[in-house]
Amino acid sequence: MARRTCIFFISLLLLGGNAALAQDTVTFPLHIRAGFDVSGPVMKLIDKDLISYGVNGSADINSSVALTAGFRYSSFNSSEVIYDFTSSGLSITAGADYNFIKANVSQGKYSAGIGLRYGLSFYREEASMIRYTNEWGAGEAAVPPGRHTGHYLEITPGVRTEIFPGVTIGWNLYMRLLISAGAGKDLKPVWMPGYGAGTSGMRTGAEYYVSLSIPYRKIKVYIKPKIQESDEDEDEEGGQPAGTGSSSGTTGFPSRL
Amino acid sequence: MTRFHTIAPVTAAIALIISISSCSVQPCYEDTDPLMITEMLVSGTGETAKADSLRVYTYRTTDTLKFVSQKGVSRFSVPLDPGSDESLFLITLNGVTDTAIIRYERHPHLVSPECGYTLISEITGLYTTHNIIDTLIIENPSVDLDGQKNLHLFY
Repeated sequence: MARRTCIFFISLLLLGGNAALAQDTVTFPLHIRAGFDVSGPVMKLIDKDLISYGVNGSADINSSVALTAGFRYSSFNSSEVIYDFTSSGLSITAGADYNFIKANVSQGKYSAGIGLRYGLSFYREEASMIRYTNEWGAGEAAVPPGRHTGHYLEITPGVRTEIFPGVTIGWNLYMRLLISAGAGKDLKPVWMPGYGAGTSGMRTGAEYYVSLSIPYRKIKVYIKPKIQESDEDEDEEGGQPAGTGSSSGTTGFPSRL
Repeated sequence: MTRFHTIAPVTAAIALIISISSCSVQPCYEDTDPLMITEMLVSGTGETAKADSLRVYTYRTTDTLKFVSQKGVSRFSVPLDPGSDESLFLITLNGVTDTAIIRYERHPHLVSPECGYTLISEITGLYTTHNIIDTLIIENPSVDLDGQKNLHLFY
């Protein structure tokens, strides 16, 4: 009812001679989301050396942008012929996601966009055994335990959809760019929790989140209707007037434009 | 919305491929053995000297390790003993033998997850006899994988 009232109100404005400002409005529910990364436990089946559990929270600040933060606990153990290495720690990411889908289509349920996050990793690393061989012979050494803080940036294109009211699922690809592993140039971690191999300047991968979603506020979003230039365009689009979203129930006011 | 539901599984498949490929095991192709590089120079002029013959070796309780045996060379590289804080080398230059002792501190260095760790060294001091060697000086104390010259040997 509110939507119709709004459309009616805009129609009145247009009739008053404001055709150049033709706009439509939809009611958009802003959500708070909290989810966990399913890919961590799944990847443990493939890579038994790695334990990685992540949770993520986000809050829409408008129809396109959401603030997001995540926490991840990771533990990595590698027992190779040439070294034994362990690292574990907590990583924190914070940033924003941008949704490319327009508000009248996404309705707060769908997202296809990109996120940019800054990550901090608080971790401990140790190489309890290093085996070396050269012309002098073979021997063993060790890297004592040490605590470090690493920094990285994360770019996350991804998609998300609501499968049930209040439950969303979504895939993120991620590209992480290392700023600093925090352990000096010689003792970069074999695995930095939250990032990956500390010797690599860039890491790629994916995360799969299942989230609970709660609407906390509704906002009005103004959608500029498409301008119809000719009847041919109208025919190509199946005779439906431009700017008429299935959810919005708006009109493009062709007679006025 | 149909388009969105088509994009989601495709993205999921790409994500899975990237995830699996990013944790595949890679072989080691990198150099993991730091070498101490010494350049030989003519005493007085500082010009590069080409030795007619050069042998670098060390005696151990059970055997002799031969590192270099070459003719017509102006520089040589030898590994430091990663199991000790000093290495002793016998340098036979144009048939005359000198002894050089190199002292250093060792530090672990991660080459890569595939290649593992190596021990790099920081030269802290050296000692040499002077049968043919005039001076042995430290040019760059870091014996690592960068391939930089470490010592200048004047004779």
